[in-house]
Amino acid sequence: MMIDKKIFGDNQFFGINHMSQEKAQSLAESFRNISDIFRVYDFAFEAGIRAVMLNSNERAGDICDIFRANKSKYDGIRWYPSIPYPYKYANAISEKGIIPTLNDILFKKNTVSGTAGMLARGAVAIIWKDAIRLMQMLIDIEMKTFRGLDVKVIFLQNIITDLLLGFDIREIFEAYCEYIRKKYNALPGLITQNMPLLKGKLETWGINEVVICTSFNKLGYLMSPDIESYIKAASTNNPAKYQLMAMSTLASGAIPAKEAYRFINEQNIQSVVFGASSQKHIIETCSLITG
Amino acid sequence: MKQRIGIIGLGRMGITHFSIINSHPEIEVVAIAEPASLILNMIRKYFKHIKAYENYTDFFVNECPDAILVTTPPSLHHAIALKAAEKNIHVFCEKPFTLDKNHAIELAGIFEKKMLVNQVGYVNRFNEVFRTVKTYVQDGVIGDIIRFKSEMYSRTITKTEESKTWRDSHENGGGALFEIGSHAIDLVNYIIGKPDRITGSSLTRIHSKRVEDAVIATFLYRNNISGTLNVNWSEESFRKPVNKLEIFGEKGKIIADQHGFKLFLNRSRTEINFQSGWNSFSITDVFKPVPFYVRGNEFTAQLYHFIDCILHSNISNICTFRDAAHTQDIIDKIFTDYNLNGTFQS
Repeated sequence: MMIDKKIFGDNQFFGINHMSQEKAQSLAESFRNISDIFRVYDFAFEAGIRAVMLNSNERAGDICDIFRANKSKYDGIRWYPSIPYPYKYANAISEKGIIPTLNDILFKKNTVSGTAGMLARGAVAIIWKDAIRLMQMLIDIEMKTFRGLDVKVIFLQNIITDLLLGFDIREIFEAYCEYIRKKYNALPGLITQNMPLLKGKLETWGINEVVICTSFNKLGYLMSPDIESYIKAASTNNPAKYQLMAMSTLASGAIPAKEAYRFINEQNIQSVVFGASSQKHIIETCSLITG
Repeated sequence: MKQRIGIIGLGRMGITHFSIINSHPEIEVVAIAEPASLILNMIRKYFKHIKAYENYTDFFVNECPDAILVTTPPSLHHAIALKAAEKNIHVFCEKPFTLDKNHAIELAGIFEKKMLVNQVGYVNRFNEVFRTVKTYVQDGVIGDIIRFKSEMYSRTITKTEESKTWRDSHENGGGALFEIGSHAIDLVNYIIGKPDRITGSSLTRIHSKRVEDAVIATFLYRNNISGTLNVNWSEESFRKPVNKLEIFGEKGKIIADQHGFKLFLNRSRTEINFQSGWNSFSITDVFKPVPFYVRGNEFTAQLYHFIDCILHSNISNICTFRDAAHTQDIIDKIFTDYNLNGTFQS
């Protein structure tokens, strides 16, 4: 399955800007109302975009509810969720530690479908010993937000992908990809800031048909180990094995759009995820992404 | 031959450091110590070549790696570092370094005497924006410093926890001053220098029962510089922890956070390409890519620097036990000042 060439991202809605706290704060303020978010989504769909990437953060539930409630209006929109919302876990872990946090998420605040029977006390201990079962349950909790939507790819956030990449454990990546394919009938996706290393590992491990989403920009910002390795890894890539999706193409606004996409269009990249908050920028970006 | 690394404590920071250091081509993680059975089981299952111990005592009885990363609650740092020194092991220790100034000074002395690499995780010293700001300040771009403010905000504690946690006890290294205030103080020591006197300290509880959630203090210097510290770990308006530093000098001022800085100059400096008025720089202007990214360039840069210092004796460490002892000294002085002058108790 080929992924969409142009995907509309979500950073602009949630006060995320890697370059400036101030810019992030003012963005967060301007999207306080969900209707403001949908005004921008509608601009994107008018510009011809049919694909949405959305992180499973606190506001994603409300956004997805509106999409579900307006099925006919948003017919044919394809979904590229990313999970989890890392700060939800990070903040809780800071407050109480890793294990109490997982306990809360798995057993207090949620009832995962199909796991109700396992919540008997004795079973909890078994789950703790099985990292993969634990991961599957966490995926299910995060994916509840996107139920009933046409999900094409499920992405693991870069903080998790790259943490696991550092551990260098094949089984976890295999298990993630297999679970996403079987349970959700979607393509597994991995977001990373270490694309050349990740792609190399997946090849070595024989894990194919994975979508790799990664920072890709002319400045080499958030591209480890360096821009040259990225260009080389992309140019020698076989998209039948790994479709590449570029993010941070403007390096948080440091590169003018024309210049940024001239560079991106020269790369062997299958897809671009971008965020913008004005109709003008959305239309401009759509026209600049070619190929 | 690869450097053999041990990791003591696999909580949130330990796990992050494990991932980063494991990517270094010159090292091999050989052993860990961690009391939580969930983590121990996973290590035993997925890292068959790594020895896993339930406590650091067993670790030191059985292991003698070249270096260790210490990422336990801070109350254990001193005892673990002493054990490591006995066995001539290089140490990277998370912040806050110790809970007592004298422990910090003792460890700095021992590691210096034994010429063991010693580093503390004041990670802002490896952030490209703060490093650039330090260079500009040292080069006199804003002239002599007159005033500054160092702030840190996070949403670490946002409600009262009923159960007792280590963050809610000074004996275990909890409280906003140890946890985030230490970063804001270290940044002052790194860029401006260590203050000579602490005054006007105020420690405020917001949600915590036993420790402060917010801190204010004034730093005074014999050369007439003065500045303020303002930290709050119950600040829900910030999505991520942030350090802010504003430095006012006779020729201009700098306002910086981890993501960028603005430089205001009273007069232009054409020889270094700065105009009069505001000059803005973002992290994208000053970043250097790291070999492997997990949580920000600075986290990788600090651990790779630790390994560089072990491999090359001519590289001097950027954040030593001695530096951390200076930060600890200021923390102690803030507590003392608060206890003497900070309350209205009769």
